[in-house]
Amino acid sequence: MSSNQPKVSPALQRLIDKGLFDRLPVSFAAFFFDQAKDWELLFPAERSYYERLFTLLDRSEPQLVADLFVPMRLAEQKMGVNEKTWPKGVFTLDQVDFLNRNAHYADWRKAVAGVFARIDPMLDEEVARSGRPRFVLVTAPDDIPVGPDRMWTRIEKLGKRVSADPSELKQLQSLPAQYAAVNGQSTYDVWVIDAGDLAPVPGGVALSYERLGAYRTRLMEQVNKLVNAEAIRGPRQLGERLKQLKLRVEEGAIAADPILSEFARSILLAGNGTLLINNTFVEWAAIQAIRRARPSVAVIAFGIRNKVKPFSSLLIYANQETTTPIPTQMDTLGTYVDLEVFYQYIWQEFEKYAEYRRNTVYVFAAAGMDEMFLIAPPDFVRAESLKASHIKGWLGL
Amino acid sequence: MFLSKRHFLQLAGLSIANRVLPAWCRPASKRNDQARKVIIVTFGGGVRYAETFTPEGARNIPRLMEMRPNGHFFKTCTNAGVLSHFNSTASILTGNWQRVDDFGFQPPSGPTIFEQYRKQTGAGPMDAWAIATNKSFASMGASGSRDFGVPFGANVVLPKQLLLEAVQEVVKKNPKEGVASRDNVMRQLEGILNEGYEGVGWTIFKAGKQLDQHVRDTLTRGLVEYIHGPESPSSGDELTFFITREVMREFAPRVMLVNFWDMDVAHWGSYSLYLQAITKTDRLTGMLWDEVQSNPSYKDKTTVLVLPELGRDGDQNASNGFLNHRSGDASCRNMWMLAMGAGVKRGETDRPVHHVDVSATAAELLGVKATEMAGRAIPELLS
Repeated sequence: MSSNQPKVSPALQRLIDKGLFDRLPVSFAAFFFDQAKDWELLFPAERSYYERLFTLLDRSEPQLVADLFVPMRLAEQKMGVNEKTWPKGVFTLDQVDFLNRNAHYADWRKAVAGVFARIDPMLDEEVARSGRPRFVLVTAPDDIPVGPDRMWTRIEKLGKRVSADPSELKQLQSLPAQYAAVNGQSTYDVWVIDAGDLAPVPGGVALSYERLGAYRTRLMEQVNKLVNAEAIRGPRQLGERLKQLKLRVEEGAIAADPILSEFARSILLAGNGTLLINNTFVEWAAIQAIRRARPSVAVIAFGIRNKVKPFSSLLIYANQETTTPIPTQMDTLGTYVDLEVFYQYIWQEFEKYAEYRRNTVYVFAAAGMDEMFLIAPPDFVRAESLKASHIKGWLGL
Repeated sequence: MFLSKRHFLQLAGLSIANRVLPAWCRPASKRNDQARKVIIVTFGGGVRYAETFTPEGARNIPRLMEMRPNGHFFKTCTNAGVLSHFNSTASILTGNWQRVDDFGFQPPSGPTIFEQYRKQTGAGPMDAWAIATNKSFASMGASGSRDFGVPFGANVVLPKQLLLEAVQEVVKKNPKEGVASRDNVMRQLEGILNEGYEGVGWTIFKAGKQLDQHVRDTLTRGLVEYIHGPESPSSGDELTFFITREVMREFAPRVMLVNFWDMDVAHWGSYSLYLQAITKTDRLTGMLWDEVQSNPSYKDKTTVLVLPELGRDGDQNASNGFLNHRSGDASCRNMWMLAMGAGVKRGETDRPVHHVDVSATAAELLGVKATEMAGRAIPELLS
């Protein structure tokens, strides 16, 4: 077995040993090896996906599989993929760079999309057969300076505003714990991703921007030091060093779980403002949790973003609170504008996956509002006013 | 504008200094003031059509909307190259799709418009400037081409890097006051200009370890305008504008790149900050156009080409929409270009043009032969 081969499940190992990956285009196989190299840090849903994907390829007619990958092989040929540019099983930033800078990158992307356009419907069918009711609650704080008529305009065509007693929100927020106690398939089946510090969910995942404050501060200091004092030259070197900045036990309870600990590290160092902006953290963590863990119940709780202080926008990895004595101010209007887009992105991300289509109730709510926004399958209860008990019924609690 | 005694003296000193300058560093273009000039303005960092020239996006770009009827608007200006910042801008400047290192560790792979212009006309070193933001753009002024290269390249100034360095030092040295004191920031900025400009990635011709006095004075004046201006600016792009304006007033270069960058804040994941940055870039572009209109060295002889360096991912895209620009979808690739000024026929064009056509067009406008360029000159801009 090559040193580039990851330690994977017995089922996948059998496929590797059978030579399945030798029959696949180099870049496709290498991408899998890269994803699987930290197999023990993958969520169960990810492991299951890879097993189903490669089992499907293994049990399909070899000629069909070969035909499926013809466009990709042609694209690889045009791009100059060879043993030098793509050592077997290797997919590092060098390969990403090779792809990005290649004149035939668009052809390659098209070919990859074509492969998944054929495979995904088959895998989705399996998922749909074992579908179950799911629930997503997306909340905003009460400082948002608009009423329900302006809160969810980008997604207004997807559902409808319904009346709701503001006190129902607390009930809705308690559902993850109830679900985890009764129905949760695994620790990773129930998620609360929060800009503030909602109470942890026994039996579920609670990821809080506030509670990760000490880790965030350390990461900012360390990255600042790496980039400035140690003058790290490029993303390759920086990436290697960032991998070592793991969550410590005293910085968060999830440090005890290697999968979640690595998840938090990767979210905070994704380079997309997750260290700096609470709602960016919430959105990106939600997108990644959906993509990777496929929770059955999720609460995604946004907060109010602070205004960016003069000059401090330049110091990406500096603590914004200490760069100037100017008091921190909330940006309520800016937060409203940000969340409008994020609602759409989050709903879209859920709906990309067969697990959620046609069996998920989405409730968008804001603290103190007497209306919520509901997107639900046709068989969800129709009532004058939305109550937490409706969702409990939907989830079978 | 509020001027402290110190700044008044400083400006007075600069004014006197200008009268005793050596001949070589007086504005080159004052010797050829009637010649055509070209300014390429990029919405660097990337902006989508959706937030600009659409019914919903128009509110973010009031100045461009106002300028559009007086210029020529290209509805489709395509970036068919690598969707990274360095390669995108290098493609605009070289007329060839660039596929070099994304982080500026390699110079552009073919001669830039700066080199073509300077080599063919014998223009001096103060006649070509790139005023940009990202540190990786330090090598944007000249290619690695054997027949061209640094001797024919542009001066490269990265105002944001200067500001960044200064702000970092201010925060380190004055943890209590931080950047609240603009005087602190100013002192630090001046200090870097005096002692360490190369450290922030700049290339200034006619300078050795220390900046030439005239250049330093010009840049310092931009800093003073920036720090003590009426609007209390706080971003790199505003400094880019003030420095650009001073360079135009002092050296009147014939070919310039002005690369604004604030909108790359989109990577932070705040749509509202991204929109604010677009509006700021729009305002600064408008101010730059005002300068062209009021500066005798530029008025009626300058073609200004405004275009996004790249777009950003569409809202329907898997890559998290406006936050990134990696999908290669239409929202990333298909942008617009607005041309203003000398030789520009008013109107609009549906026919797609490409980023690589910009340099070929600039070469024609500057009266040089476009060699080694895949792009083609755009006829609508050559009247």
